[in-house]
Amino acid sequence: MTGTAAFEAARQEIAYAFENTAFFRKHMEDNGLHPADIKDADDFLRIPPTAKPDYRRHFPAGVLAKGYTLNSPRVMRFQSSGTSGDRLNSAILSYDLARRQATALAVNRRFDDLWRPGSRPRTCRFAPPNCSDVECATGLSTLEDRTLPDGTVVLSVAHDLMATPEWQIVKALDELEICEPDLLLVDSTHFAFLTRWARRLGRRISSPRTLHLVSGYTLMTRVARREIDAFLGADMPVGDMIGMSELGYLGFECHKGRRHINDQDFYLEFVRDGRAVELGTMGELYVTTLDDTLVPRIRYATGDYFTPLGDACDCGSDLPVVRIEGRATQAVRLRSGRTVSPGAVDAVVGDAPWMDLYKLEQDPTGACTFRYVANSAEQAGDAPALETRLSEALEPNPVRVEAVDYIACERSGKFQACVSHLSAEGAW
Amino acid sequence: MTVKEPCRDDFPALGREIDGRGISYLDNGATTLKPRSVIQAVCGYYESNGANIHRGKHRLSEEASDAYESSRTVIARHIGAAANEVVLLRNTSEALNLVAAGLDLAPGARVVGCLDAHHSQLLPWRRVGHLDLARVDAHGRLDRDHFRKLLSDPPEVVVLTHCSNVTGVVHPVRELVAEVRAACDATIVLDAAQSLPHGRLNVRDLDVDFMAFSMHKMLGPTGVGCLFGRSERLAALRPLTVGGGMVDWVDLDGSVDRRIPFRFETGTPAVASVIGSAAAIRYLEELDPDKRHRREQDLCAALVDGALARPALTLIGPPDHTDRIALASLRLDAAAPAGEVARLLSDSYGYMVRSGHMCAQPVVTELAGGEVLRVSAYLYNEVPEIEGFYQALDELLTWLAPPTGG
Repeated sequence: MTGTAAFEAARQEIAYAFENTAFFRKHMEDNGLHPADIKDADDFLRIPPTAKPDYRRHFPAGVLAKGYTLNSPRVMRFQSSGTSGDRLNSAILSYDLARRQATALAVNRRFDDLWRPGSRPRTCRFAPPNCSDVECATGLSTLEDRTLPDGTVVLSVAHDLMATPEWQIVKALDELEICEPDLLLVDSTHFAFLTRWARRLGRRISSPRTLHLVSGYTLMTRVARREIDAFLGADMPVGDMIGMSELGYLGFECHKGRRHINDQDFYLEFVRDGRAVELGTMGELYVTTLDDTLVPRIRYATGDYFTPLGDACDCGSDLPVVRIEGRATQAVRLRSGRTVSPGAVDAVVGDAPWMDLYKLEQDPTGACTFRYVANSAEQAGDAPALETRLSEALEPNPVRVEAVDYIACERSGKFQACVSHLSAEGAW
Repeated sequence: MTVKEPCRDDFPALGREIDGRGISYLDNGATTLKPRSVIQAVCGYYESNGANIHRGKHRLSEEASDAYESSRTVIARHIGAAANEVVLLRNTSEALNLVAAGLDLAPGARVVGCLDAHHSQLLPWRRVGHLDLARVDAHGRLDRDHFRKLLSDPPEVVVLTHCSNVTGVVHPVRELVAEVRAACDATIVLDAAQSLPHGRLNVRDLDVDFMAFSMHKMLGPTGVGCLFGRSERLAALRPLTVGGGMVDWVDLDGSVDRRIPFRFETGTPAVASVIGSAAAIRYLEELDPDKRHRREQDLCAALVDGALARPALTLIGPPDHTDRIALASLRLDAAAPAGEVARLLSDSYGYMVRSGHMCAQPVVTELAGGEVLRVSAYLYNEVPEIEGFYQALDELLTWLAPPTGG
């Protein structure tokens, strides 16, 4: 979609949201705006961004468009624990989800065979549990209990990933064999953990059908990617998804390994300090949905930071190329005023063949502790060298590197490789 | 002095906003919010002291020990017990486990309970004996004939639940105790976790052998469970755990346990929370009991009548206001999963209510057939909040209405 056509589509979305949702009408009126006032890109900036609290507070009555209920046909309801524990209830039309998914996956030729006309991929999910720790996460529920209305089988996962008992891991591996999926939808940290166990147990993760792997939920670290690629081998299509529960696929990794963002189904902005950033500069992603008749979102501030790169990609896709930086609330804030994104921290760590897992945590005083679980490949100089690199990247703040044999997940079950108690308390 | 009225401003959490909206806290059956005086008592201990108790002669330890033991006295006085008859533990579950394990029952010993018991009152007894449960009727009232029948083959223990956390029914515990005493010499253990927060009880009048409750359901901090035991019964009870704090003497050949109640209190306790518990009781005792009772009745009526006025809801519990606390468990239509509705009521409307099986799965299954939505009010709630809750639920259920096609 060209810039003009995309903006015209965004204007139509504004008009639709104004006419059909109580929240957005009030949002515009509170700011003295009417859809007719939004004639060009500068006018568009007059609309204050909307955010997750708006959609949480006003769901469903204020944000669901007229004519829909939560049980309307093709409405998919979901409850997200949120990447940073900032949970959300929302809904999405199944065909919007499918359209966004198709646009995103189209950047990767290795996923072309996943959807054939008339077919419906068998999907298994191995990711942080959404259910409470007395339901799915105990592993006591049946496969049938954990099959979603769309047919996705949710494999049992403990809230505290590294404390998962062996029998529950064996159960997940057994159920994967039973399901024979086309598609594995995983959190990369969780799946890397599963591959380590599968290797230890002499198990394979495969399917008589062509298995594809999509990683989402949290930032895919280079360490996790290395482990997954090494276990699955070069033949299996693996792709890193950019997504949000409430919006579905926002982008995907192409077969050349670069991340593209979906500007066909969304009108996108990358914003810092209220202005669009230059190419090559990090900015928060604002999303305006296009042709979303259920929950239209206008200038929805996602809290996710990206760097738009502006260059063409060899893969042949026209979708813009971005670098993933991570959540604003997880960025490391330095005393110098600089911030270092989770993506930048991950770049410093690299694929580190000598470790299985890591987590960098900034405490409220600003000090950083990097904890890692080593494997048998660790050499004496590996950790000191990393400590030097991290200290340089995060100066003047102190950094301590610790080898551990256990790192806890968040209460939600998610494992974040980079967290900052400073950023979580305030704006980036 | 009984002049004070419960004041919402006393509860800082009630001033909280989420996404710019105030909240209504209606999950008091699970735990209550804490008034500022309790919070200050907890903070005060940490700010000005922080020492351990019963372990030193230095000034701070002595001060902390004094505050801790005077809190025990406050709790004991509130229920008409002597201070040495109150064991301070972590929660009601631990208190009931202590009695169940400590009685040293013979394998297969017969225990009579009630179907509407909380898991805390079911599982410890099932572990040590053969538990028979008295039935309840369709509204959750105890089937007295069945209860009497169960007593006819004399049990060794009768475990009573004063008030159900699912139906809100307050059982006629005095009458039940009298029936037990007339029928057999069973040990009587009362779970008062849901009833004591709503009105004072006197253990002498009730004539029970043991009574368990938790302070966090009556404005106190979490982590404090209390076990009352008549002194001669406590003295005969075997400690559940052993270790530091419960012995007077240890040598290479053996040890000598401390006197009651200390022999049951192993290790360092929740010092600050126990001190905060006394502040909670002081707060409750300063309230006018008549006004408090009237408010409770008003809240109960609003909850019950609101449910009965809505055909889409099934009230789990009696359709009247007699002998019940301000609590309503609601069975929703299958199209409205209780967990999702509770989440939406919270995040979209600001009403904090409970969903699920309430840790009393047998009675929820029996009366409701599945998960319920529980709304439980307490002294800082107001009738308009209940009305607002039902309006929010009405609105939400329209959005969960069956599909109309298209």
